Amino acid sequence: MTKYTYYPGCTLYTKARNLDICARKAAEKVGFELVEMPSWNCCGAIYNAASDDLAAQVGPVRNLAKASQLGDKLVTLCAACHNVLKRVQNRLDQPGNEVESERLKTFVDEKYERPVKVLHYLEVLKQEIGWDNIKEKVTKPLGGLKVASYYGCLIVRPKEVLEFDDPENPQVMDDLMRVLGAAPTRFDFKAECCGGYLVVNRRDVAKSASKKILDNAKAWGAEAIVTTCPLCQYNLDKLRAVTDGSIPVFYFTQLLGLAVGLAQDELGLEHNAGDPVGFLKSKGLL
Amino acid sequence: MATSRSSTELLEQIEKLSGQTVSDCYQCGCCTSGCPIGEAMDPPPSKAVRLLQLGEAPELLDSDGIWMCASCLVCGTRCPRAVDYARIAEACRVLVLRSKQSRVDPDTVTGPELEEIPQQAFIAAFRKSSV
Repeated sequence: MTKYTYYPGCTLYTKARNLDICARKAAEKVGFELVEMPSWNCCGAIYNAASDDLAAQVGPVRNLAKASQLGDKLVTLCAACHNVLKRVQNRLDQPGNEVESERLKTFVDEKYERPVKVLHYLEVLKQEIGWDNIKEKVTKPLGGLKVASYYGCLIVRPKEVLEFDDPENPQVMDDLMRVLGAAPTRFDFKAECCGGYLVVNRRDVAKSASKKILDNAKAWGAEAIVTTCPLCQYNLDKLRAVTDGSIPVFYFTQLLGLAVGLAQDELGLEHNAGDPVGFLKSKGLL
Repeated sequence: MATSRSSTELLEQIEKLSGQTVSDCYQCGCCTSGCPIGEAMDPPPSKAVRLLQLGEAPELLDSDGIWMCASCLVCGTRCPRAVDYARIAEACRVLVLRSKQSRVDPDTVTGPELEEIPQQAFIAAFRKSSV
């Protein structure tokens, strides 16, 4: 079974356990193993784009240096960690940026061995495992559940650095849902911002942005939403932006875990808002 | 006013920190029309760039709008002139923060919902808006 160095990040250890736990277990079901990187530190949660701000890059550079000692790939799951680590790796590799890159690499104690390819879990599924192989592992197909895939902003932009998918109309999570037996719905706000961290001091703004996303998914007939970002999940699921008739917001790893046969108590459904168990039972999926 | 520097000096610093050239913008408004937070952002992206073009950098640095951009990068992705407004807003915030003025005081952020908000949101919010 192929092993990958895995960077979970802080939120997956606490508020987003339901993203992490089933990801590790589902990985083993579909044929790879996530090996958590020892003594990782915070990625910084958000990329600082100011051209002279080297201090903000040190945390991610340390993680990348440590990962480089373990292999040439680093797997992420949280959209924010992925965005930061991938952009900082890109900054280190940028032609013409050798002086800054060298300063950063030599500033951290950990020896920087080589550039690391930062891969999101979804990229591992698509590029390294392959949809056909995953399809073979599906034991409980999702019964045509109408799912809107919500990507948010961090995983798709900036497109030339993330190289993840179409930044306006990404497909990878839709493809995965199809493989798992769900019916991905069309959806206009796949890659629109949910308001992100503005929820800390401008709850009203995050609520209004999240409401538009939820309303649009419902208008396209979605019965549930899937995402990969703990902050998107919070804003859509727990902010109660839609006061009546909201739909459940799962992590894609929860539906993946369900489809490849993880037990109910391995899906972390107790961390989702509302009654996800009742919902899945009503669809005949639990 | 956020800093005592002249408008010309501020514009130079904003362009250097952001790597953007504000005169590249021809004011088509694509950024503002696509901004998911646009209705709550004052000034919205295209107007903010216009202020810089007109030599009104101090007004932009004093505005609420620069703190509303959560760097989702939709505007820069769609801009026909490849101007990345999120980086301009970032440069403006950094200039204000470096003059030792916080936009958000962590002590004033309270409420029962704080128990539930993922910590990545706190780290991001305070890194973007506190000294």
